[in-house]
Amino acid sequence: MTSVAAPAGGAQGKQARSRSSTIIYVSTGTVLSILFLLPLVWAVLRSFMQPSDITAAPSARAFGHLTVANYSGLITGSIHILRYVGNSVLVAGGTAVLTAVLATLAGYGLGRTRFRFRGSNVVFALILVTLMVPFQAILTPLFLELSFLHLLDNWLGLILFYSTFNLPFGVFVMRNSFMAAPSELEEAAYCEGAKVLTTLRTVLLPLVMPGVATTMLYAFLFAWTEFLGALTFITSINRLTLPVALLNVETGTFGQVNYGFLIAGAVIAMVPCAVLYVALQRFYVTGITAGGVKG
Amino acid sequence: MADIELSHVDKVYEGAEAPAVRDLSLKIADGEFMVLVGPSGCGKTTALRMVAGLEDITEGELRIGGRVVNDVPPQGRNISFVFQNYALFPHMTVYDNMAFGLKLAKVDKATRDKRVRETARMLGLDEYLNRKPRALSGGQRQRVAMGRAIVREPQAYLMDEPLSNLDAKLRVSMRAELARLQRDLNVTTIYVTHDQTEAMTMGDRIAIIRRGQLQQAGAPTELFYKPKNLFVAEFIGSPSINLVESSLRADGDSLYADVAGQPLLIDPEALSERPALRGYAGKRLIIGIRPQDFEVGVAGTRRRGCQVEAKVELVEALGTETNVHFCVNAPPVITDEVLELAADLGKDEATRVERKARAGRNEFIARVDPKTQVRNGDTITLAVDTAQMHFFDPETGQAIR
Ligand SMILES: Nc1ncnc2c1ncn2[C@@H]1O[C@H](COP(=O)(O)OP(=O)(O)O)[C@@H](O)[C@H]1O
Ligand SMILES: [Mg+2]
Repeated sequence: MTSVAAPAGGAQGKQARSRSSTIIYVSTGTVLSILFLLPLVWAVLRSFMQPSDITAAPSARAFGHLTVANYSGLITGSIHILRYVGNSVLVAGGTAVLTAVLATLAGYGLGRTRFRFRGSNVVFALILVTLMVPFQAILTPLFLELSFLHLLDNWLGLILFYSTFNLPFGVFVMRNSFMAAPSELEEAAYCEGAKVLTTLRTVLLPLVMPGVATTMLYAFLFAWTEFLGALTFITSINRLTLPVALLNVETGTFGQVNYGFLIAGAVIAMVPCAVLYVALQRFYVTGITAGGVKG
Repeated sequence: MADIELSHVDKVYEGAEAPAVRDLSLKIADGEFMVLVGPSGCGKTTALRMVAGLEDITEGELRIGGRVVNDVPPQGRNISFVFQNYALFPHMTVYDNMAFGLKLAKVDKATRDKRVRETARMLGLDEYLNRKPRALSGGQRQRVAMGRAIVREPQAYLMDEPLSNLDAKLRVSMRAELARLQRDLNVTTIYVTHDQTEAMTMGDRIAIIRRGQLQQAGAPTELFYKPKNLFVAEFIGSPSINLVESSLRADGDSLYADVAGQPLLIDPEALSERPALRGYAGKRLIIGIRPQDFEVGVAGTRRRGCQVEAKVELVEALGTETNVHFCVNAPPVITDEVLELAADLGKDEATRVERKARAGRNEFIARVDPKTQVRNGDTITLAVDTAQMHFFDPETGQAIR
């Protein structure tokens, strides 16, 4: 941000500058927040409107007839949205956990100098290269592979697929997290008698928790919103994940296109993401290693 | 408790050209406080980490309590390591930090609790047991690190410059406290520092290391009075030893050392203790005189040839002692050792030595009785305790014995 004017110097000038920069900061933040929040608020509001109002031009009249019919219809009607929410929670949760566990172990191995081996950097580079491969490009081989493993139309297959494509990023994050953790802490634990995995669990894991949270959140959101893979690999209607189920609402597999249902479904889909984000947020608080090393 | 023995230990880091530790042989007796000291980068930490098992031993053998432990991981060595930066577990309270090792050793909860509380009381940490390390001061963190080491009652304590992050005053008081604690607990200790005062005041024995090699190991007084080489002589003692290049002249049975044109009679007893000295008659050598071996004024009983004239350049009255700086009409002694130690003391000291070298001025410091009245610019006669003089070969830097 450019400074408004040359400061007059002295405390007064400084104060004036900090006040004007606060104003700029707050107003920019407010504008951006509104920009991002408006569609969300709009969606939430519309999800409480009657289907006829949703497709009509926005008018004050529509707000007089707010209803929860869309939600109750989705939940109790033939659509059984909660079943798909459950499916998605299971798949996305499984993906998040599996990715976090594997990325933590791989990051530990690649991030600590004590585990360095000849070619460990090459291994890491190869893992990163897979980030460049869009999974859509290899959907057919993946389909064949899962079919060979008898994991088609199976949540485990879907979880493995999602984890595979989230691991490069996860390993990258976890490796950096472990590299940032002071090696003395690990060595202190060794001297105190802790074995490698005990040290990882009791001493290092709390330090790399921000990395774990990032990895989990990223994997969860990926799995929660992923569509093409789920559409390809899951065939039974009962096992569908939420994005595919919502598409069915839209294309009318369950009947006619119902925009009320569709928007309410989208709002329902947002809730777990928001909950997870808030739940993991405390791990992003800085200063977790403060006080451990250095005077 | 146990003794520790390193025999011919080498450490070569992967990719490094020179070994970080070379042929280190050292025996630390059960209960002994051994200090490893030397300029930074000389390999002290490396040596200590090898004893702890945090670093592989390239060559040689390490025994703890008689058992060869080269291939035993740190977990199996039953030692405590105190890190320079303390390495406290940041997410655990003081109590949990201290109980960590006991928990892993499966000490039952009641005993554990008793030992943690006892140790905390001993270190004055009882009030802080529920705090996290970040809520502690530097001195308190240092104590917690000590507590974590002590509470487990290990075979040995290994400490890597544990006081270097404290401010000067706290460092002095912690120094005494730590030495007392070690004496009470009587646990074998290897203590690394690059501060010679710390080494002299704390250690039962001191091992001086330079460029990965042991220079001399012995009691503080032994290193002070009988340094094996120029490096040890220069490193130990504050203010440091005065060095001057000189030549020896034989006169009958006596030997005279020429110090800036003034002949100094070498004490006959010192001469008989150093038979090799006679071989240097007519040759160059380096003479070392400790600041405290000067005395202002000459007692009538002193023999001829034990005094030097000096023009006072600067008087530092420190209360308990007075340091008199005076110029000596001889080039300064600038050896590798001198340069290395000056560089270790920091940039200022290094440039000071360089300036001295360019100017060709050799400055001595005499530490004299604070009651003597000496002023800047005075010309005084200083008596030299020639029995305490040190002699070094100018080529090898070895003491002439
Ligand atoms: N992990 C390492 N890899 C390569 N060289 C190292 C490593 N640790 C220390 N060294 C080198 O070994 C020498 C001794 O280091 P160190 O034992 O830390 O010295 P000190 O503790 O006496 O200051 C130094 O030259 C240092 O650069
Ligand atoms: Mg060191």
